[in-house]
Amino acid sequence: MSHYNNTGEYNNPAYHDSDTLEIDRSPSRKSQSHHSNPHGNPYPRDDGAGGQRGRSDLQQLPGGVQSSYDDAQERVPWGGWQEGSWRGRDSIPMGLLPPRSESPRWQQHDLNHSGYQIDQATHYDTTPPVRLPSATSGHVSMRFRGSRKMSLFPVGEAALGNLGLSEDDIRNEMENEEQHLVKELVAMSTRDRIKAIRDLPMSFDDKKHIRGQVLALKSFKKSRHLNCFSDCSTTVSLAFRRCGANMTLARQTLELWRGTMKEVGGKFGTGVLSYFKFLKWLLMFNIFSFLVNFGFITIPQLIYHPTPDIPTGVSFKGLEILTGAGYFSHTVMYYGGYSNKTQGTGGWPEYNMQLAYFFTIAAYMVLCGAALIYSMASSFRKKYVLADSGLGGAWQLLCSWDFSVTNERAVRQRKNNLRIQLKESLSEKFQVALLPLTERLKHYGVFLGTWLLSTGMALGCGASVYFLCQYDTWRTRQSADKASGSLLEEAATLLLPFVVSLINLVVPLFYSLFKKIEHYSNPRMQVYAIIVRNVILKMSILGILCYYWMKDVANTFSCWESIVGQALYRLVIVDFLFIMLGSFFGEFLSNVIGTKCIQSLGVPEFDVARNVLDLIYAQTLAWIGIYFSPLLPVIQIIKFFILFYLKKVSLTQNCQPPRRAGRAAQMQTIFIAILFFPSFVGALSMVAYTVWTISNCHVSPDPSPSLPPSDNCGPFRGLNTTFSAIQIWMDDLNGVDGFQWIVWIYQHVIRSEIFYFLVSLIILVFIYIFRQITQGRKLLIILLRQQIVNEGKDKAFLLEKLQTLQKSKQNKQKKKKQARKRQENESSTGMLQALLARQRLEQEHGDSSSFGVPMPSGHSVSTTSSALMQAMLARQYAEDQDVASYRGVPFPADPAPASSSALIQAMQARQRAESQNEDEFYRAPVQSQNPVNALPSAMIQVMQARQRVESEQEEDEFYRAPVHSEHPVSSTSSAMMQVMQARLRAEEESEFYRAPASSQHPDVSGTGSALIQAMLARQQVEEEYGDRY
Amino acid sequence: MGNKQTIFTDEQLDAYQDCTFFTRKEILRLHGRYHELAPHLVPMDYTNEPDVTIPLALIVSMPELNENPFRNRIVESFSEDGAGNLSFNDFVDMFSVLSETAPRELKAIYAFKIYDFNVDNFLCKEDLEKTLNKLTREELSPEEVTLVCEKAIEEADLDGDSKLSFADFENMITRAPDFLSTFHIRI
Repeated sequence: MSHYNNTGEYNNPAYHDSDTLEIDRSPSRKSQSHHSNPHGNPYPRDDGAGGQRGRSDLQQLPGGVQSSYDDAQERVPWGGWQEGSWRGRDSIPMGLLPPRSESPRWQQHDLNHSGYQIDQATHYDTTPPVRLPSATSGHVSMRFRGSRKMSLFPVGEAALGNLGLSEDDIRNEMENEEQHLVKELVAMSTRDRIKAIRDLPMSFDDKKHIRGQVLALKSFKKSRHLNCFSDCSTTVSLAFRRCGANMTLARQTLELWRGTMKEVGGKFGTGVLSYFKFLKWLLMFNIFSFLVNFGFITIPQLIYHPTPDIPTGVSFKGLEILTGAGYFSHTVMYYGGYSNKTQGTGGWPEYNMQLAYFFTIAAYMVLCGAALIYSMASSFRKKYVLADSGLGGAWQLLCSWDFSVTNERAVRQRKNNLRIQLKESLSEKFQVALLPLTERLKHYGVFLGTWLLSTGMALGCGASVYFLCQYDTWRTRQSADKASGSLLEEAATLLLPFVVSLINLVVPLFYSLFKKIEHYSNPRMQVYAIIVRNVILKMSILGILCYYWMKDVANTFSCWESIVGQALYRLVIVDFLFIMLGSFFGEFLSNVIGTKCIQSLGVPEFDVARNVLDLIYAQTLAWIGIYFSPLLPVIQIIKFFILFYLKKVSLTQNCQPPRRAGRAAQMQTIFIAILFFPSFVGALSMVAYTVWTISNCHVSPDPSPSLPPSDNCGPFRGLNTTFSAIQIWMDDLNGVDGFQWIVWIYQHVIRSEIFYFLVSLIILVFIYIFRQITQGRKLLIILLRQQIVNEGKDKAFLLEKLQTLQKSKQNKQKKKKQARKRQENESSTGMLQALLARQRLEQEHGDSSSFGVPMPSGHSVSTTSSALMQAMLARQYAEDQDVASYRGVPFPADPAPASSSALIQAMQARQRAESQNEDEFYRAPVQSQNPVNALPSAMIQVMQARQRVESEQEEDEFYRAPVHSEHPVSSTSSAMMQVMQARLRAEEESEFYRAPASSQHPDVSGTGSALIQAMLARQQVEEEYGDRY
Repeated sequence: MGNKQTIFTDEQLDAYQDCTFFTRKEILRLHGRYHELAPHLVPMDYTNEPDVTIPLALIVSMPELNENPFRNRIVESFSEDGAGNLSFNDFVDMFSVLSETAPRELKAIYAFKIYDFNVDNFLCKEDLEKTLNKLTREELSPEEVTLVCEKAIEEADLDGDSKLSFADFENMITRAPDFLSTFHIRI
């Protein structure tokens, strides 16, 4: 608008045009009230400047009303689709927006009318009784809240259809939409409905309103066809819902460490918190595993054999807590402590320990696997696949701030970190130049070297562990021969776990030194590299250990499952000790060193990746041990529990939050994936190998591939494999009636290769199909993204074209300036005649004119459009009477739909105004009220129409289109535009005769005032002419 | 739990449960927190839904918000009048959206509102500069601020209008999975 130009704030028309178009994409119903009418646009312009002062003065009046409007609009350009419609906040924007928004048009009819009164009475100096729109609009919007969902992203065409809507129409439409929403909600199931209501982006009161309506409608429907069944189902569903809510409540009550989590999150942010979440999650796994094992294996065992068969001479010495050997090896702690008998023959229900043991472990493994796959898949879906590394600055700016951080120091630190990161990213941007070839070769060489070194170290560690194991075996044999169970002997068993834990502690530190010589372009790559190396190290050690247990231990010892169980127990315990020591020495000492001795080192950061990998390692041990030591989860639970508090204390005392706010969500996904793939799958295959491997030690003398359960301990003693317990059970069942189907399933499904073959074939087919679908979707995503980009380009192109047209138009206008002067004279005569004619008409015809138009003077004009039409008709009449040299408005000949023709006219009007205002300043052709933005076609249409119009103007300056009268009155706006044009012409004239009463209405605001001013302006012109005559 | 009847009726609690992401207990806890903020203003008995609002200054003094650089914007975005006065329902609304279980779409809408300082439904350069200054304690030089903001807009702006519409913002959010966990205030 013109006042933008006055302040010279906005020089780029594209900025504003785009604004216009963009804002119209979301013309909520609320915002329709703001700016649905594109033709209200010119009013404020003239209202601001031309109408009262004449265009030559435009640049000179930045003060007064003008500037205050500008301020207002800069601050609050266009209300807000969200604000307005959701929260009733439009009272503010609308209050600040008077000249642009025609907003409460329906509420200001009386105002227009009063404008006419003044018009007639020619009281220029009387300030029209303008009711400030803010008072009313806020009120309206408050009433219309509750439709946020629809008004969020409404479609563009809604505005087109709403050009002439009255208050009732809009309210009706809103109610309709609300009804529609309610109907949708009623059709849903209870759970879906609650979810949908929760997800509505409305305030609570609106949601409650909607919910109330839905419930009312539901009960109404129900009461119509009430029957017993529906009644029952309602009661049942209600009961279920209550029950579900109570479950959630109970879960929340039981939720561990809520306060601690909040504290940690508040101080260290989400990244560090994810470690604790992971810890808690693993703890849940172990609690579940403990419950299952204890309930189904240990309790029956304890019921039937309350006291373990402890050989004489073995007593509890205390060191067992560390080694797990000695006293413990004869208890239910390990596999060996369980009997193989079918319990409870005398009156008690039978309980087959073999089957219980087998099925418990199997069920636990399957459930764990399912839970892991589920969480991994959902994590991948939500957090990983969509993640895009291309977002640097924008992400850091808008998504990286952690709202959960509440600690003042942490906030300061984060701000610092972010600043440093931003500076880094800026500097990186400037030196993106490609490194020379030699440098790159050097980098690759370093990569190769470090990877070789790290892998070599992992393998070396594995080999050394293997030799240590063999030494351990040899030593155990020696001690077994001597049969002396001294403490020293027992303590010697700790050597192996000690070395393994030491490796796990030291080698990762060594790996982290690599980052000094490696130069990864991306810090995340570095983190990934460290993770991969650590995983390789840990898995190679565990793999070697498993190999050793399977191959050597299984063939050496009599009750080898218990021996393996003990070894795992020791590993778990020693690992725990090392983690404790690690956090003490690693974190506490480096804190002391960093703060006291070498300041440059600084406070250590909490290394989430390393700590999580430790957890994963510990959990792998627990999973492997589940078969050999069913109560190992107890140890694990205790360990994790202590670890949680230990880490929390160490964290708050010694550490600072990590410098790089890495992508915690992605890291979490990767950790879950690691927990699943090498860790769980490895443990599962180890256990499955133990359970399933067909023993052939009875067949062949070579014992190497055999893995029979031990002969004299454990539930599966005497069997070839663990799995043959099932075989025996099936044989038993075979004779029993009623269980034939189980046997059948066993024979034909479990034991048949063809079944597994078919299943895997089907799975493969499905995988292939889904893969293809995924590929297709990927393509679709690319296309859609491209489409968005293209639409943006289209818009930019159209805007540019618009500008060039405007410029060329201005040039043309310049050339024709002189020629036009004369014509303007003529046209103004026509104008005068028109006005005179109208007055005459009014005088002559009284109230009920031959046109059926209510007269303006002193009569209540019911609607704006009728008021405007009145003016139109008057001019029409004038035209008919004096077919003089009145230069009519060149309208496009094609009967375009009302809205677009209105638009075209709007364009013309603006065009004209601009050309009149000349090129002293660069104009920003803002038309916020355009409903068209989503419709570039409409834009094109407009431009074409205008081009045509221009050419027509060139060819025939006196081209006259007999428009108006045959137009249906449906489009208020087109009528308004015509008034505008007429007035504009009048203004052109009034430039020569300065209007005296221009600045007397500083407080006019809103459409009504615009209209009033229009009228006043015309009145002035009339007067001027009258004087002249 | 014993006194819950005196604070809310069962129907009210049901409504809260159905319309927010909180359970009864959390609603009661929230009421406690709300009451704590202005004990003389907020009645304990909410069964007749008193029309009470707490001004922005008191709300932002909560430890959960006190250090948040966007605290004023958060409260303003959720207040009915836009000036930061929160009724209890607004208060519940705010923490419901900021809770862990709220879906990404909902969070994105309100995050957009929070970052949209001048309430023009776009994140323009001005908004981003304000955001950046809040995030970095205004220690970056003006040139750096401009550069960063321009870069951010350039990255996230899909339709090329050199500012971020809600669609741009949402698109960015979907590609930044951390947002879900970081746009979260524990109560």
